[in-house]
Amino acid sequence: MSTFLSQIANGLVLGSLIALIALGYTMVYGIITLINFAHGEIFMVGAYGGLATLTYILPTAVATTWYFALPIALVAGALVAMLVAVAMERFAYRPLRNAPRLAPLITALGVSVALQEAMRVFYPGATAALPFPNLFIEGAVVIPIGDGVVIRYTGILLIVVSLVLAFGLERFVERTRLGRAMRATSQDRDVARLMGIDPDRVIVLTFAIGGALAGVAGVLYGSYLRNVNIDMGFQNGIFAFTAAVLGGIGNIRGAVVGGLVIGLVKALGGQYLPGGTAYDYVWIFVVLIVVLVFRPQGFFGESERVRA
Amino acid sequence: MTATRTAPAEPVAPAPVRHTGRNAGMLNALAPFAKIGMVVGGVLSVLGAYLAWSTFVLNKGAFPERSTLTMFVEPLGVSGYRLHLTVLGIAVIVVALLRIPARHRIVRGLGLGITFVALLNGLWIIVEGGGFGAITASDGTVAFGAVVALVGGLVTVLFAQAGGLEPRPEWTWRLPWWAEWILLLVIFAIVLLLVAEVLTSGGQGGVVNPYAGVVFLSLLAALAGAFAALNASGLLGWVAVVSERHRVFSVVVLLVCALALPFTNAGTEYWMTVASNIGVYAATAIGLNIVVGLAGLLDLGYVAFLGIGAFVAANLSGAAASVIGIHLPFLLVMVISSVVAGMFGAIVGSPTLRVRGDYLAIVTLAFGEIFVRSAQNNIGSLTGGANAIPNIPQVAIGGLAFNESITIGAVRLPSGVLYYIAIVLLVSVVMLVFGNLKYSRLGRAWIAIREDEDAAAAMGIRTGPIKILAFLIGAMLAGLAGAFFAHKTGVVAYDSFRFLESVTLLSAVILGGMGTIPGAVLGASILFVLPEKLREFSDYRLLIFGLALVLIMRFRPQGIIPDRHRKAELADTDPEDVAREGPGALPTEVEP
Amino acid sequence: MSRTRKVATTAALLAGVLALSACGTNRAESPSGGGGSCDTSKGTLVVGFIAPLSGSLSALGLGMKNSTDLAVNQANQACKVPGYRLALQAEDDQSTAQIAGQAATKLSSDPNVVGVIGTLNSSTAQTTAPILAQKKIVQISPANTNPSLTQGDNYATAPSRPNATYFRTATTDAIQGPFAAQFLVQKQGKKAIAVIDDGKTYGAGLAAQFAAEAKKLGATIVAQEKVGEKDTDFSGVIAKVRPANPDAVYYGGEYPVAGPLSKQLADAGLNIPLMGGDGIVDKTYTQLGGREGDFATNVGAPPEQLASAKAFIDAYNAAGYKEPYSAYGALTYDAANVLIDGVSKTVGNGTFSDASRAGLISAVQATNIQGTTGAISFDQFGDTTNKVLTVYQVKGGTFTPLETGSYKAS
Repeated sequence: MSTFLSQIANGLVLGSLIALIALGYTMVYGIITLINFAHGEIFMVGAYGGLATLTYILPTAVATTWYFALPIALVAGALVAMLVAVAMERFAYRPLRNAPRLAPLITALGVSVALQEAMRVFYPGATAALPFPNLFIEGAVVIPIGDGVVIRYTGILLIVVSLVLAFGLERFVERTRLGRAMRATSQDRDVARLMGIDPDRVIVLTFAIGGALAGVAGVLYGSYLRNVNIDMGFQNGIFAFTAAVLGGIGNIRGAVVGGLVIGLVKALGGQYLPGGTAYDYVWIFVVLIVVLVFRPQGFFGESERVRA
Repeated sequence: MTATRTAPAEPVAPAPVRHTGRNAGMLNALAPFAKIGMVVGGVLSVLGAYLAWSTFVLNKGAFPERSTLTMFVEPLGVSGYRLHLTVLGIAVIVVALLRIPARHRIVRGLGLGITFVALLNGLWIIVEGGGFGAITASDGTVAFGAVVALVGGLVTVLFAQAGGLEPRPEWTWRLPWWAEWILLLVIFAIVLLLVAEVLTSGGQGGVVNPYAGVVFLSLLAALAGAFAALNASGLLGWVAVVSERHRVFSVVVLLVCALALPFTNAGTEYWMTVASNIGVYAATAIGLNIVVGLAGLLDLGYVAFLGIGAFVAANLSGAAASVIGIHLPFLLVMVISSVVAGMFGAIVGSPTLRVRGDYLAIVTLAFGEIFVRSAQNNIGSLTGGANAIPNIPQVAIGGLAFNESITIGAVRLPSGVLYYIAIVLLVSVVMLVFGNLKYSRLGRAWIAIREDEDAAAAMGIRTGPIKILAFLIGAMLAGLAGAFFAHKTGVVAYDSFRFLESVTLLSAVILGGMGTIPGAVLGASILFVLPEKLREFSDYRLLIFGLALVLIMRFRPQGIIPDRHRKAELADTDPEDVAREGPGALPTEVEP
Repeated sequence: MSRTRKVATTAALLAGVLALSACGTNRAESPSGGGGSCDTSKGTLVVGFIAPLSGSLSALGLGMKNSTDLAVNQANQACKVPGYRLALQAEDDQSTAQIAGQAATKLSSDPNVVGVIGTLNSSTAQTTAPILAQKKIVQISPANTNPSLTQGDNYATAPSRPNATYFRTATTDAIQGPFAAQFLVQKQGKKAIAVIDDGKTYGAGLAAQFAAEAKKLGATIVAQEKVGEKDTDFSGVIAKVRPANPDAVYYGGEYPVAGPLSKQLADAGLNIPLMGGDGIVDKTYTQLGGREGDFATNVGAPPEQLASAKAFIDAYNAAGYKEPYSAYGALTYDAANVLIDGVSKTVGNGTFSDASRAGLISAVQATNIQGTTGAISFDQFGDTTNKVLTVYQVKGGTFTPLETGSYKAS
């Protein structure tokens, strides 16, 4: 029983991380129907941005006290990720706005490879994994069931921050003018333009918000797992895309639910399904394939025509 | 959109050129001086070729007795980049003075070649010499060769542009058939020699030979300039038309030329190995071309089929590590690999029938990752997991192992030449299959599905089975290549088939030109030869690769040898061709 | 834009992008100034090197390359090979077999190449060994652990050496794994051990050998799991292992995974020691999460007791390389020195030519020099005879040696 609950806890923590990244995927797809392959790398860049701030910019005294270091690192990671995301949109995707589907996809692949390698070549020491400090209180909550279910405080932080940010994003999209502009642009770009919305600025905003969320996720991930490496973006990016599709791409609530489901699938699948942990992420791919084949609009998506 | 003439063009008094669009003012002002400007540019280039290029001789590097910049200090050697600059410069002068149709376009091509040769070599000297002083003046020595040549190139391009770019002429000469045959023979032989020259230029790079990379790049730049000029003059287009007229003959001659590569100076064991690997990837890329180029189904996990073919072959070829301990003859193994890979292709294809576009790409990526993970975990003990399946026996026909050197008469061919011949034949077969498919009913059905799936279904095409057929046939071709790969490399490991390889394959198809037969081969060649020739940049290889992908999709998404449909679909409209229609014409530059 | 322009632009762009990369290249100046005092009249001999220099394993490969470079520079300064200068030619194999084959073919067609140091992955070695053997070029690997490379396909039952030119300074798992088992089970008294590995040749082989020996000694293997080489989140594996109540974890793999794994074990409430092989011994192990009390085995005697090891570490740090020497640096340094020593013995005061290659192979086979891990010599299969292993334990943040011994079959 305690194993089951432990795996649930693990799944929720991982899932909330995936949800944060998935939000970026889902928003970008909703607004310009592009799968931003490089979004996983934005997540990685945010983590490294936070690490760079902690290692090179902050004095050691500040960097080791968590209530200073944590918000600074989060903001730094979000900023760096946001900058990279906006630059990516401006230079790689905007010129291809009207090109057939293949061009932006390949460009995204190219950007993903280039970002990963740029980090490997230019960030000192990034050829191997780099240690990342824990930016929260050490220790864990131990629930006395069976052998004890252990949930670390940092894990709880991750879940809480993700849910708060997701909720905040939904509020933003539903209630504010800018959010309405985003929804309008995603429905029909030309009509939105007629309504006085500048779609370019809205798209930049979308990328910026998605990037910031991914950056926060990156810093929290590093904090939870205590290290970062340049490969962390690729796999988590695919999980996040799966989550976004699962929940219904373009749907914020769907992305969060999808993320949590994916996290649980990975944890429980590794525990109970044949092949063990070696095949745990294979199950996520299986879920992806099944969802795309049988219900491409996801849990919360509208049953519209399948997009070409 | 291009002017057609039925005879070699009579000199036409050029209509006054009016530029519109960007830089119009400057270009219009320079237009009357175009001819003089071009001649000056050519003269400067030739002059620059004979000045000194580097101000000092360095004594660093692993071989101080062979100072790193000596190549640039020999004053009167006429070889390598100096030769290229001389030839290109003289060509510029000649073309500028004569009344040749499309002369400005030709000169611009030549000028670009000159510019890049000068730029490449100059940059190399700056980097090795540690600063700009290396190509200007330092410690009392002057060496402005690089600067002069660069200026010459830029001046040439500028004035050629100012002179007004004519449309590319289309020649319709017809010679008697035997003359055309001889012409084709000569041209393809020249191409063969050029390819051999490019491959071996600079010698084998290494610590003993630090110039190899820059010599190779410089040669490429010079050849690109010459190529652009020939293209601009319309001669290349004419040769293409002639070879179309005698298609069977052209194909035969090309095949013979490819088989003759081991006899040229690129016939070393090293290049036989590289060429064999290129062949494997080219065959796979052609298979991918069916899936992506013809049927428009984005596949990001394609290398898995190559892997499946390779593992099947490894298991059936009597390698000690395989659990199926049988040793079948090579041809049978190829057929079995192909069939098994095809089956997996159909399996992958079936669930994706309802999925389109980007989603399809992700699903195929997922399948590719499942394959890698399963292979890594030694699923069914068929893949050897992390230990791989090593020591696959070499292919042997009549007791002659393929990796040995053979002697024909007095000529000793390098080892691995038999693999090379086999892969050339394999690629030819694959190309034949592809060519036949493309123009068959099936191929047309695929193209219809690619253009608009719903319309195709409305026309009565059964899209489901046809899409599965695309996957199946593509996978079969990959499986065929995989069997060859297993024997050539001797070991099949899961890490040869990771996601990055799929991206590379897709890039090869796109870079070369989607939907065209030579495109995939060209793309695979470029993506294999460049990292081999430029091994000193191996640290930055992937970074350059990523950036190159971005740039190519931005500026030339239809690839180097574009398919006509794709070009119309992907390229912008051609403003140059409508620029000369008078006052009501469209502007020179069209905003995308 | 017209077609010509597109073609020219493409060509220009391609060349331009490539040219841009030339700006970024800054070849490190090898300190050859001091070599001016050596007689290099007979020319240059090339030490080849094949390992992954780009991609995900580049951290290990670059550390190996730097170590070889250090050895070559030291040899040049000491005029090790009379009349010749040594130069390092490093080729990237992208950790894929077919590129390794190309690299090996390239090196083997250069008559100045005396030997090749490499590779890292066993699968790439499978391709390069026959190619180099055909040209009688010595290959010394500091990192391959697959037994079939030296003992043939039937290594367990009928070992026979496939390539007379292939040697390695790395111990096979057949020694390190059981040695660790003997320590953990007999000396530390652990009875319920969870075995985890990263699925790669080195880790999986090591873990398998450990498990076999541990079972023979009476311990129970309560769990046998795999993690991905790029994984950083082990909560799934740990939650799976926890109910089995292990009292130790044995990990086959390298430190980037071992460190976080150790930390996450503790986080989950499993305060049991983690033990690994030489792949986890690295100074960043504790930064990445390794805890006090973790164990590891390493090849040879502790460096503190060996002047040669300390000399290597000091020299490496003084040389100022961008990357640390990582897990295989010391072994690579040894391999390079074996080759250089063999070359200097073969050349003597004469010249090096194709005919000297056979002599070089014998010279390497007969090597007996002092390396960073102790005395180096090779047995009839080309494996190192150094069966000395040391158990380390993390104390005060670093791996400190606990006990040294030779492996004896139980």
